[in-house]
Amino acid sequence: MQDVGLKPPRSKTIHVAVCGNPNCGKTTIFNAITGLRQKVANYPGVTVEKTTGQFQLKDDPNIYTLIDIPGSYSLSAFSPDEYVAVQALLGELDKSAAPDLIVNIIDVTNIDRALYLLFQVMQIGKPVVVGLNMMDLADKRGLTIDIPRLEKELGGVPVIPLIGSRGKGIEELKAAIALQASVPHVPHRDFYHPLIGLTADKMIHQMQNGHVTRAEYLRVLFDINGPAEKAFIKEHGEKGKILLDDGRKSLIGEFGSLTIAETQSLTQRAAQVTEKSVHARRSTSRSRSEKIDKYLLHPVLGPIVLMLIMGFIFQSIFSWAEPIMNGIDSLFGALAGWVGSSMAEGPLQSLLVDGIIGGVGSVLIFLPQIIILFLFIAFLEDSGYMPRVAFLVDRAFSWCGLSGKSFIPLLSSFACAVPGIMATRVIEDRKLRIITILVAPLMTCSARLPVYAIMIAAFIPYTILLGFLNSHGVVLGMLYLLGLIVAVLVSLILKRTVLKTQRGTFMMEMPSYKVPTLQSILVRVFNRAKSFVLRAGTVILAITILIWALSYYPRAGDASTDYQSRIASIESTTSQQVAMIDAEISRLALSPEQQEASLFAGARFALVESPDELAAVRDELYLLRPDQLAAVELSHFRRTVELASLEQIATLENDRAGAHLRNSYLGRMGRTVEPLFAPLGWDWKITMATLASFPAREVIIATLGTIYNLGSGVDEGSSSLVQKMRDAKWEDGAKAGLPVFSPAVALSIMVFFALCCQCGATVVTIKQETGAWRYAIGVFIYMTVLAYLAAMLVYQLFSRIGW
Amino acid sequence: MTYLNKLNPGQRAKVVGYRHDSPIARRLTELGLIPGRTVTYLRNAPLQDPLEIQVGPSCLSLRHAEASLVAVEVEEPTSL
Repeated sequence: MQDVGLKPPRSKTIHVAVCGNPNCGKTTIFNAITGLRQKVANYPGVTVEKTTGQFQLKDDPNIYTLIDIPGSYSLSAFSPDEYVAVQALLGELDKSAAPDLIVNIIDVTNIDRALYLLFQVMQIGKPVVVGLNMMDLADKRGLTIDIPRLEKELGGVPVIPLIGSRGKGIEELKAAIALQASVPHVPHRDFYHPLIGLTADKMIHQMQNGHVTRAEYLRVLFDINGPAEKAFIKEHGEKGKILLDDGRKSLIGEFGSLTIAETQSLTQRAAQVTEKSVHARRSTSRSRSEKIDKYLLHPVLGPIVLMLIMGFIFQSIFSWAEPIMNGIDSLFGALAGWVGSSMAEGPLQSLLVDGIIGGVGSVLIFLPQIIILFLFIAFLEDSGYMPRVAFLVDRAFSWCGLSGKSFIPLLSSFACAVPGIMATRVIEDRKLRIITILVAPLMTCSARLPVYAIMIAAFIPYTILLGFLNSHGVVLGMLYLLGLIVAVLVSLILKRTVLKTQRGTFMMEMPSYKVPTLQSILVRVFNRAKSFVLRAGTVILAITILIWALSYYPRAGDASTDYQSRIASIESTTSQQVAMIDAEISRLALSPEQQEASLFAGARFALVESPDELAAVRDELYLLRPDQLAAVELSHFRRTVELASLEQIATLENDRAGAHLRNSYLGRMGRTVEPLFAPLGWDWKITMATLASFPAREVIIATLGTIYNLGSGVDEGSSSLVQKMRDAKWEDGAKAGLPVFSPAVALSIMVFFALCCQCGATVVTIKQETGAWRYAIGVFIYMTVLAYLAAMLVYQLFSRIGW
Repeated sequence: MTYLNKLNPGQRAKVVGYRHDSPIARRLTELGLIPGRTVTYLRNAPLQDPLEIQVGPSCLSLRHAEASLVAVEVEEPTSL
C-alpha cells in the first residue's frame, strides 16, 4: 500500500533462470509458479525450446520473468543444442534478458548427482536458490535432510524444500527468489579443486575480459573441441590457444585427464556435502519402480504391454478425434453455408467462405489430434514410462539411424504428421531429432486414406489372392509399407551423408515412476495447442488463401453470364409453371381448411416410404372429395416441377464451377504442366487437382468433384465421382477417346500421394520445430521429387503389363 | 578387469575408469558412472541392446557400444 504523495517504487523486470537435471520435476515446478502466464518459443537457430513465464508477488512491484532452461546434468556442452542452454544460463544469448538469479531444482533422491550441476552453476557468479524437490519421496526412501546444515555446507545458499506434485513450497520458493534478487553482493563459492580455480583465474587475468564469467572459462578449459573452446579460439586466436593448452597441460599433469579433473573434484565435494546433511535410515532403494519394471521391462511382457498401450493411443487419436473433427468440419461447413447464403455472390463472399473460413477450419481440424496425442505424451513423460518405451524399442530403430525415442513421433505420424513432428521434442539429440522430423511425413497419415479409398474402390479389380487376401487390402497394405520402406532408406541415407550421427548415443536415465499432476499435463497440452494455432496456423491460413485465389481468379465474364442467364431462364419458366398450377388450384374454390387438408395429404403422399404408410395415407385420401383430390394431384405436380428445376440449376451451378476452375490460374497451370505429368499417365484434370491439393492432400477429392462438375460436396464414398472418373476420356492427343483412368493411373496417383509432402501444415510445423525453413523446404523438395519418380516408375511398369 | 558391456544381468562391479577420454565418457561420468562407484547390471532390452544399469540411486540406460567404454572390476560372482 502506498501513502498518498509517495512515489510508487519503480517496477523492475527480474530475470530468473530455472535449471536442473532431467527428471528432477523442474517443469512441474515451473508450471506451478507461472501457471498459464507462459510463452513458448525456440532459441534462434536450434531446436531447443525456450519457455518463459512470469509471476508477481503482493506488495512487490517487480515482475519476475522465469526462463525454463532445458534439463541437463552439467554445463559441459558438446553440441550446439546443449551449448545454447548453457549460454542462456550464462546470459550470453540475450544480454538484455541475462538471468539476474538462478534457481536450481534438485531431486532430493538423487542429490549427489544434482550437486555436481549446482557447483558448476555457482561459478556463474549470480545469486542461486536451491529448490529441493520430491521431499515426499525422501521420506518414503528413508532419507532425512538437515536443511540448515545443507545450506551451511553449500556456503549459505538458501535451500527450499518442495513437493512439486502437490504445489508445496512454491510460495516459499517465490519469496526466496524475491529476497535473493534484492541481495546486492554474491559471495564467492567455489567447490572445485584449488588448482582448477587457479588455472581458470590465471586465464581470466591474462585475457582481461571482464564480462566473461569464470563458469565460461571452465567450459573453455574442460570441453575439448566444445563450442565454448571454439568461440574462445575464434576470439583470442593464437594467444588464447597457447594459454589454453598451457592450462590444460597442467590439469592433465595433476589429474590424468580433463574429465577426471572436473568430475572427480566435484563429485568428491558432492559426496562430502551429502554425507553431512543427508541421513539415510535404510538403503535408498528404488524398490517400487524396480518392481514395476520387472513387468514393464520384461523381455516378453514388456513389449506386449507396450503394444497394448501404443495400440490404445493410436486408436484414440483416430477414434476420439474423429467425432470432434467431424464436429469442427460441420461447424465450419455450416458457418460457410450461412455466410455464403447471407452475402451477395462475389469475390468477397468467396474469399470469406472458401478462403478464410475454410482456412481457419483447416487449421483447427488438427487440434483434436494434437490435444489427444499430447495428453498421452505428457502423461507418458511425467509418469516416467517414456524412457522405458525408448529402451524397449531402441534396437529396432538404431540400425537405420533412428533411435527408440523416434518411436512415438513416428507412430503418431500414422494418424497425422503434424502432432508427430511436434512430438519429436522428446528427442534431445539434434541430428536424431531432425532425421525423425524429415521422415515423419512419409508415414501414411489419415488424410491419405480417403484418397486411397476412392482410387482403390474405383480402379483396383477386386480379387481374392492366395485364397484369403483380397486385392484391395493388399494394395492398401503395400501403400503403408511403401511409406515405411522409403522412410528407412531416407534415414539410412541421411545418417551417412548430411546428418552424420555419432556412433550410438543413447545414454539416459530411467526415472522412478511418478503419478503425474493434472496441472502440469494440462499446461503442457495448452501450450502445444496454442503454439500450433498461433504460429503454424497463420501460415497455413495464408497458403489456403493463396490457393483459393489461384483457383478463383480470373473470373471470366462470358461463361459466367451465360450460366447466369440460363439459370435465370429456368427460374422464370419454373415460376410461370408454378403460377399456372396455383391458378388451377384456386379455381377449385376450396375453403382454406379444405385446401390445407389436401395440401397436407399431398405432401404426405409424396413422402411415403413404406407400405404401411401408404395404406394410412390412402385411407386419408378416401375421405377427401373429388375436387380436393384434384388439388392433391396438382400440388404434387407442382412439387415435381420445383424439384426438377432445382436439379437443373444445381447441374448448371456445378458446370459453372467446373468451367471457372478450368479457366482459373490453377486450371491453366494444370494444363501448362500437363506434359510434365504425362509420364505418370495423368491428364490435366488429375494434374490440376493434385496441384490444388498441395496445401492439404485430401482436397483432391473435392477438387475432382468440381472438375467433373459434381459440385465440391463430394466425398470418398461418392459413387457419382467414381462413375465420372471411370467414364472420363482423353479429350485430345494420341490417346483421345481412351479412358483416362486405368489401374496403372490409379496406382501412380496413390504412390504419388504416399510419398509426396502435400500438407502445408506439415511443412510449416517442420519450419516451426527446426527453426529453419531449409529443413521444411528440403522435405518438400525431396518428397515431391521422390513421389514424382516413384509414380512415373509405377505407371510405366504397370501400363506396360496392360493394367 | 573387464568392460561394463561384458557383464551378465544381475552382476555387480566397480567402475575402474574409461577406455579413453571423450564426450561420451564425460557424459557417463556426469550420469554417475564415477570411478570407485558400484554398478549393477540390471537387464538387457528385449532385443538385447540397450542395457540397463543401476548406479547409486539412479537407473541408466545405455547401448552396449557406450558401455564398452567403461572399465569395471567384477565384485562378486553372478548372483542369478
